[in-house]
Amino acid sequence: MFNPTTDIIRPINELVNVHFNRDWCVELAARSSRNGPWDQWELARLGVEAMESRLVHSFDQLQCLPHLPHLTPMPHQIDTARRVLYEMRGRAILADEVGLGKTIEAGLILKEYIIRGLVRKVLILVPASLVLQWVRELNQKFGIQATAQKKEYMWTQVDIVIASMDTAKRDPHRSIVLSQEYDMLIIDEAHKLKNSKTSNYIFVNQIRKKYCLLLTATPVQNDLGELYNLITMLKPGQLGGQGQFQADYVVDKRVPKNEVLLQQELSKVMIRNRRSDGGIEFTRRHVRNIPLSLSAEEQALYQGVTDFVKGRYRDAGSDAGSMLSMVTLQREVCSSRDAVFLTLVNLFKKTPEDSPYRPQIWELVNLIKQITANTKAEKAMELILSLGPKEKVIVFTEYRATQEYLMKFFKDHGLAAVSYRGGMNRGKKDWMMDIFRNRAQIMIATEAGGEGINLQFCHNMINFDLPWNPMRVEQRIGRVHRLGQQSDVFIYNLCTLGTIEEHIVSLLHEKINMFELVIGDLDTILERMEEQSTLESRLQKIILESQNDDEIREHLHSIGTAFHDTRSRIQPPPVFSEVEREVHP
Amino acid sequence: MNQEQVKDFCMRYLIATDCHILEKDPAYVKVKLSPEADKDLTGRSYYWSFVERTGAEPETMSFIFVFDPESRKPPEPQGRGTTQGRAPLVAPAPNDEPLKKGDSILERYFGITPMIPQQGRMIEETISFGSRRLDQMFAAAHAKGSYLQLFEEAPPVQRGSGISHSYTTWLGVNFKVEFTCDMRREELHSLGICMSTGEIVANFQQLMCERVLSPRMPAHCQLRDVISLETAVQQLEAHLERVLAQADYAWALSARERMSEEVTRIHSYYGDLLTNLAAEQKEEMQAQYTRRQQEIEWQYQPRVEVHAMNCGWFHLLD
Repeated sequence: MFNPTTDIIRPINELVNVHFNRDWCVELAARSSRNGPWDQWELARLGVEAMESRLVHSFDQLQCLPHLPHLTPMPHQIDTARRVLYEMRGRAILADEVGLGKTIEAGLILKEYIIRGLVRKVLILVPASLVLQWVRELNQKFGIQATAQKKEYMWTQVDIVIASMDTAKRDPHRSIVLSQEYDMLIIDEAHKLKNSKTSNYIFVNQIRKKYCLLLTATPVQNDLGELYNLITMLKPGQLGGQGQFQADYVVDKRVPKNEVLLQQELSKVMIRNRRSDGGIEFTRRHVRNIPLSLSAEEQALYQGVTDFVKGRYRDAGSDAGSMLSMVTLQREVCSSRDAVFLTLVNLFKKTPEDSPYRPQIWELVNLIKQITANTKAEKAMELILSLGPKEKVIVFTEYRATQEYLMKFFKDHGLAAVSYRGGMNRGKKDWMMDIFRNRAQIMIATEAGGEGINLQFCHNMINFDLPWNPMRVEQRIGRVHRLGQQSDVFIYNLCTLGTIEEHIVSLLHEKINMFELVIGDLDTILERMEEQSTLESRLQKIILESQNDDEIREHLHSIGTAFHDTRSRIQPPPVFSEVEREVHP
Repeated sequence: MNQEQVKDFCMRYLIATDCHILEKDPAYVKVKLSPEADKDLTGRSYYWSFVERTGAEPETMSFIFVFDPESRKPPEPQGRGTTQGRAPLVAPAPNDEPLKKGDSILERYFGITPMIPQQGRMIEETISFGSRRLDQMFAAAHAKGSYLQLFEEAPPVQRGSGISHSYTTWLGVNFKVEFTCDMRREELHSLGICMSTGEIVANFQQLMCERVLSPRMPAHCQLRDVISLETAVQQLEAHLERVLAQADYAWALSARERMSEEVTRIHSYYGDLLTNLAAEQKEEMQAQYTRRQQEIEWQYQPRVEVHAMNCGWFHLLD
């Protein structure tokens, strides 16, 4: 007997079944027997026209581009999307270098599957600080209605949910997530899944998914075992079993063998685009050092602090270990009296009451009181004014006290500034960014890390003082000089002459030439250089131990030389050269 | 759809849903939505349930839908420099300002600002293929044009003459066919079946668009079906099946190859693992293996799925 409520599934040939959905027969029969309600002919015609306009006629032609009026992807991004869709079949590791637009690639792939009706339910796990940014990008650039997970019901009732890994893996969320099937799972910062013993890894491995994208800028290329874990999560067995993998491909955890074969296997699941040197997608960087001389009072304080630090070092029997942090005092004087004041007060409190250092510290505090103006702040303001009121400027400082001083200083001089620091919660950070974008000319930031800030709308950056860790300098630059920056980027380094700052600026700018370095090279170089101790602590040691400026200069010169040697020695491990492709737009 | 077709679609949708067109221009349209269109497009279900429960007078939203943003740009103020400091001749209506982006408390919380339904505010939006608003119109047209009953209108001379017309009823169905593996291709098959003879006609939608159809049942109308809905459905499906059998299935073959490749790979991976595991770990690993097998099938299994996008009774003059 014919039963219209039962769908029919019949084989068409030996390869496929055809499945006839019959819901419509039931509804049509019901409306016929009730004589209505009937729909409008014009709307039905429009409905068919709409469907025809979106009909996907071909398996292998990219559909998503005409659907994206607000986006012009770059060639390498489109190419990556194609390879993931048609070669990797929706399970891939996207390992582009920072700033090449992995989010765009993931968005293209997701959009394509949505248009084809292959993906509806999506889970996107990203670091907490990136949740809103992902929501924004997918909504604004891709017209994908993604929602930040805020309430428990959203897991089940919202199709495209963005959440942080830490939230998702905790109960009650965990059990809800694991009880569902996701057409697509996207994980940003996937290098955090490199260890198969961690709760993150076990959790993600249990999520039921059809397609899966793992995004990482750090493709764990130093450790083959970690790479193995990541790939196994995506496609178990792609590199064989653990034992077989060890036997076939690994000499030492960082040294591969059978590279050609390993390359082939890797390129089936992983795409890594690299920025070509001087690729036109990046605007130019202009770096200028702004030398300035401290006022007599500031110079006196700097001298006082320097003598104090040297004295303590001598008293400690030239044992640098415990004294390294004392160098901070010198650096702080170069930033603002407020910064050094705070540290001195804390030092004073920690010093025993009968210690001979107490009066010395007090003397320094007295020197601070002599200072009435901040030469550097004035120079910074002069610079900002010379750029004009329309130019947004981000000012970076290492010290919270300097940040607060500058906030007040700019306010007193009628300049609109907002602050930004690591301790702020996510909402406040976003808020500060919004104010900077829409209303304030200046942002004063103490933190450049935390992938959350993108300031492509600003192309002037003032380093009020410089971190001694080159990676942190790199992060600062990365906030403004990234994909989407339309203008050349101007970087100003304020540099107090006759201080240790002068040495550091010269090391970073002239010797290491880091302001012109290609992002991505730096971490590899530093990793090699810092096998024994960090560059930062080596610098502190040099400053502490050197008797005079010439000696400092000599030491820094040798660091610069070592940097260049390391750089020229570094070649990417041969195993990755096939997978990596330079981006030539 | 090109921009001209988008505009055509949008205008026809607004008219079909009884929207009040305030101003029409080649580059844009200013419109006050009808309650029906407001429910389709603004996502204010809470507001509408409030209106319906309290019987309050509904206030629908107004939009400026822009089709050609280039020529919609406000003209440059003339004689710049001379008018400086003077008030512009025509003050821009405050309502016309588009919503400022990136500056609301909602956006800081949710990442994006859902449209704020503000009374009397004119929201300006560019409508293009792929834009959210057009997608909503697409969805609304589809949802509200699913089941039809239409009668062909007699030529005017014959109308009212008391002559009764005999009609033949056709069942028209627009089938969307999806060829699916890890990729998908689609086809539209518009079929009509004559309910008295069982004759089946292709491109039925297009044929119907050429006729004058009305939802009103004419007086003295006699309708007589010979075959049942059940039979009609079976015959349509059988017909479609014969058509589909002629399609190229190389894609299905390669999908099956990919699938068996994957299955082989995980079989050897988990096979090795499972033999070397202790009993308590085995269970979880076995579950993982099963999960992965299901995922592979889910991803690659080639199949053809047929859904009716819309359907209806078409009573055509003999």
